[in-house]
Amino acid sequence: MTVAAANPVLQLDHVGRRRAGRMVVDEVTLELGAGQVLGLLGVNGAGKSTTLAMIVGALQPDMGTIRIGGKDLTEEPIATRQLVGWLPERAPVWPELTVAEHLATHGRLRGLRGTALRAAGDAALAQAGMTELRQRLAGALSQGQRQRLCLACALLHRPALLVLDEPANGLDPVHAAALKQTIRTLAQGGTAVILSTHLLAEATAVCDHVAILHEGRLRHVGAIAAGDQAALERTFFEIAMHGANPAARAA
Amino acid sequence: MNFIAMLRLELLRLRVRPFGWVLLALGIGWLGWNFTLMVGSFLASQVQRAGLPDSPGYVDLVAVPLLGALAQLAFLVVPLLGMSTLAGERRNGTLAVLLASGVPASRIVLGKYAALVLWLLVWLALTLAMPLSLAHATSPDWGKLAAATLGLFLMLASLSAIAVAASAFTSHPALAAVVGLLVGLGLWTLNLGAQRAGIDDGAINAIAMSTHVQNLLRGLVSSTDLLWFVLVIAACLALATRRIATDRERG
Repeated sequence: MTVAAANPVLQLDHVGRRRAGRMVVDEVTLELGAGQVLGLLGVNGAGKSTTLAMIVGALQPDMGTIRIGGKDLTEEPIATRQLVGWLPERAPVWPELTVAEHLATHGRLRGLRGTALRAAGDAALAQAGMTELRQRLAGALSQGQRQRLCLACALLHRPALLVLDEPANGLDPVHAAALKQTIRTLAQGGTAVILSTHLLAEATAVCDHVAILHEGRLRHVGAIAAGDQAALERTFFEIAMHGANPAARAA
Repeated sequence: MNFIAMLRLELLRLRVRPFGWVLLALGIGWLGWNFTLMVGSFLASQVQRAGLPDSPGYVDLVAVPLLGALAQLAFLVVPLLGMSTLAGERRNGTLAVLLASGVPASRIVLGKYAALVLWLLVWLALTLAMPLSLAHATSPDWGKLAAATLGLFLMLASLSAIAVAASAFTSHPALAAVVGLLVGLGLWTLNLGAQRAGIDDGAINAIAMSTHVQNLLRGLVSSTDLLWFVLVIAACLALATRRIATDRERG
């Protein structure tokens, strides 16, 4: 099951990960092209965060290959990870550093220096709506503000692939709407986006494709019509309760 | 350049955390008090020593004992300063972010280690400034002072490497501090029994840290002692790097 993409930015080929003798991600095969937004759905423990952690290189797959921008993540780990921006689920920050210091640190780690670093930091802060919080300590930020800070850090080096793990966690409706707009803008600019979410409404609002994971296996991949939440809900609940999508059950 | 970015990050965190400053201030305060007592006793014994041939001088009676006091303090201070280097990152979730940024595990470990050693160098320099402030009024044995300073520096560098390695194996900074303290004390007191039994050579003395530090504090610089410190530091940093690298495998 794949999302059709002429020039795939992300390619997962039979990717799997074992934990405590059990496959938590089992032979996931997926492609994502430039400008596409893929929503990764599934119930708790379905393997969404593990899949995303493997894509960004924070976890090593036990099987299969991951290619980003045509490069193999295992063979060229450093070059490949430079193409990816990641917003982790818990939005981890260094509480003793300010927002500006976070951006400077992430920029330096990504190889940015001097005026390029400052310009990229300013642009990322503006994109995440954090400009006025530049000197605020990260430890004093709310959960939603931390999410936005981590998003700014993920966008700093203009990644070809943006990986968002539950990006709307803790966001108020205003900033949740702003996040959706940011994702759409990034996709229009050619960035491939993959996001995991529990919120089906969020998926239908911003994604052009969805993939549904259940017990580590990919049960459904397909395009979704904007706003067609009812069809997505039917598929999702069928898979969540019966472990197979409606089409497969009918067959 | 990743190494420099990691070094800057860790120095920044050490600079803004009150804990490092409190430890530094308490340590310097205690050492300052000791220095005053040592100078008082040095002055009081001046007349007695004047009549003795090859009597101990300013370096033997003030500078080296002060560095010895710093060594005692280091067993506690270094594990406390180093406990969060990697355990804190893992606990925060920022270690995964660093690994996903494309920073090799070796650079993460080396950057954090170098920052810790630089911080401790400031401590050593401030301690050394006390005896040096009165050096113009005496005729110090510069060679012995240099050897003792080298010994203390190597001891601090070894304890830092142990603290970083302990921190790499857990996500609980307090546990890392306890392990760092116990390993440091264990290495120091390894040959205590042998010394009490009057055994001055043998493998147990060669392994113990106290043998090598005491030689340097006495002004004896030998390649065996230097090699011991280099091996301990290299082994601890290699262990820490290996453990951080396996984070991707373990999850």
